[in-house]
Amino acid sequence: MTASTGRGRSAGGSFLRDVSHHGLFWPVVALVLLVLACGLRSPGFLDVTVRDGHLVGQLVDIARNSATPLLLALGMCLVIATGGIDLSVGAVMAISLSVSLEYIDNAADGGSLGTALTALLLGLAVAVLVGTFNGFLVTVLGIQPFIATLILMIAGRGIAMLITQGQITTVTSAPFKAIGAGYVLGVPTPVVIAIAVFLLLSLVVRRTALGMFLEAIGINGEASRLSGVRARSTTWLCYIIAGTLAGLAGIVYGSPTMAADANNIGLMRELDAIMVVVLGGTKLSGGRFYLGGVVVGALILSTLERAVIIFHLPSETTPLFKAIVLIAVTVAASPFLRERLRSRRVRAELVPSGAKAAA
Amino acid sequence: MAHTDTARGAAEEARPAPRKAPGRPTQRGRSLLTRLDRRFLPVVGTVITLVLMLGIGQARYSTESTSFISMRLFSNLLVDNSYLLVLAIGMTFVILTGGIDLSVGAVVALVGLAVARLLIAGLPLPVVLVVGVLIGTLCGLLIGIMVQVFDIQPFIASLAVMFLARGLANVVSVQSLGISDPNFAALAGWSLQFGEGSTLWRISISMVIAMVLLAFAFYLLHYTRFGRTVYGLGAGDDGSAVKLMGLNGERTRILVYVISGTCAGVAGILFAFYTRSGFNLTGIGMELDAIAAVVIGGTLLAGGVGFILGTATGVLVYGLIQVLIAREGLDSWWTRVFIGVVLLAFVVLQRAITVRRRT
Repeated sequence: MTASTGRGRSAGGSFLRDVSHHGLFWPVVALVLLVLACGLRSPGFLDVTVRDGHLVGQLVDIARNSATPLLLALGMCLVIATGGIDLSVGAVMAISLSVSLEYIDNAADGGSLGTALTALLLGLAVAVLVGTFNGFLVTVLGIQPFIATLILMIAGRGIAMLITQGQITTVTSAPFKAIGAGYVLGVPTPVVIAIAVFLLLSLVVRRTALGMFLEAIGINGEASRLSGVRARSTTWLCYIIAGTLAGLAGIVYGSPTMAADANNIGLMRELDAIMVVVLGGTKLSGGRFYLGGVVVGALILSTLERAVIIFHLPSETTPLFKAIVLIAVTVAASPFLRERLRSRRVRAELVPSGAKAAA
Repeated sequence: MAHTDTARGAAEEARPAPRKAPGRPTQRGRSLLTRLDRRFLPVVGTVITLVLMLGIGQARYSTESTSFISMRLFSNLLVDNSYLLVLAIGMTFVILTGGIDLSVGAVVALVGLAVARLLIAGLPLPVVLVVGVLIGTLCGLLIGIMVQVFDIQPFIASLAVMFLARGLANVVSVQSLGISDPNFAALAGWSLQFGEGSTLWRISISMVIAMVLLAFAFYLLHYTRFGRTVYGLGAGDDGSAVKLMGLNGERTRILVYVISGTCAGVAGILFAFYTRSGFNLTGIGMELDAIAAVVIGGTLLAGGVGFILGTATGVLVYGLIQVLIAREGLDSWWTRVFIGVVLLAFVVLQRAITVRRRT
């Protein structure tokens, strides 16, 4: 990778090449371009102020909106690291939120802290169960992850509809609302939750051998099993984590409105989560993964959604820009362009302009 | 199991195996297993499921005067699911190579809207129909190029095009566009009627198109060099076997996505025939229906094993589930749950009876 072709014209050429070969280079470029574009268009974009002891501003909103995709994508990233995929996370969001709100709806004292906590735990418990089921199909029965999780992706929303009896369950519970709409020391709760989960996972993955095991399983499950890694239980654990985080994401997402619309909560969110993981430089084929990249990916996604609003574009066009960013980042990082980039400096001029189109 | 064999004679449902399964101890059901060629087992499972469901329907919903199993039932199944059949045909090609195409649902929406918009603009019908199909072809080509040239994973490449098509559809219109063109209505309403009264059944233009495509796909997959290459690419060796055989793997890999995209274009037009309108929220999750139908039809998602007629059976099973749910008077969300259950039963069955590939 560092082998110089002797073609570099500037002194900084090889440094630039090294930086541009880092997995996070293009994602960060895309994020910076997006933020710059927004900042230029809307001068107050970068301002963060304190009002009533709460942080407010566009960046705070973006961080808050990143929480749901980030929670989903962190779990997804671990699953993808093992060479799998979890398509059911969107449906799991709907299931766990439905369970939580149904519990509050039927509880005697809907507004009490105890009820809200029990509802939260119930929702998470169901999500753990779903994750366990997915993991069982994948690790014990040996069903392909795509199909194994497709089952619940299709059936899950139906199950959520059964839980809410086809209605949109709405409740009022101040403590439950605080999960998604509250603040901790001025920071929105969802942001705190997402950061806490990220730090916890990073700690577990990077300070214990788990991360290495995950990468080993993702590269070659059979080889890692033969060399003593508990491939089956480790992979299973990843599906449970992904399910649990999806449940948490559902509750965080639905708690401000306190309404469970089983048909629409988390619809197509699994695809957003996968996109976030891929934007963060993790390959779908498993192996090497970057939790930090997931954060960058989630920020790109919600900055993009905000940018569409700032540029006064109809919000329905968001998927179009998602596509452009996704194509730009993956093509820029593709081996095909990398080869060209290495051998011909001229090509290097063309690539950033492609990425700029995203902004 | 040699993939070259797979390319021949899917029509023979249960021909005796030419030789004993080499060196693998068979457990239960020895007589059945040894008499059947293994690769037909999943398809046999699909056919048995279909027969069972027909039996249940016949037992529960037949009356003195009308039989549940009738030409009318099959004609309705095909009319209602012709677009799904066309999507599933294209998806079968892609899945046989070990790829996936997530874009088809969004392409259906885009094509429907484009057709509606162009007809409103006053373009002649034949031009509009050709343009509609070509939009699908272009989307497929884009995925194919990303997959083959830029080495982007099919999941991500087709996800990007899914976002692209969905975004473009939203740009065309976020409202439903009715199609009032008289020629279009005449074409959509064309049908041949047979029988009368309660035994009335018909052949519609959608059915004819779907059947022609099915026959063409059957020929292409089982009787041509191209078909052999498709199966060969699914062998999971990055196309090295295909290359050694002197087949053009690169071109074929692009072509399967072009076929799938073209099928999505045709399906978009069939769906427009069906609804007489274009709508941007059409086809959300339709790609998953197509994938599920292909899998229920006995095609392995890993690639290399499957039959186009199995896919057609899978679509019938899919449609029949909806008919039975409706006849049972259950709420529509039960459909999703049941499809999930059938899918689960299927993959577990497949897992139990098929040789472990690529462990």
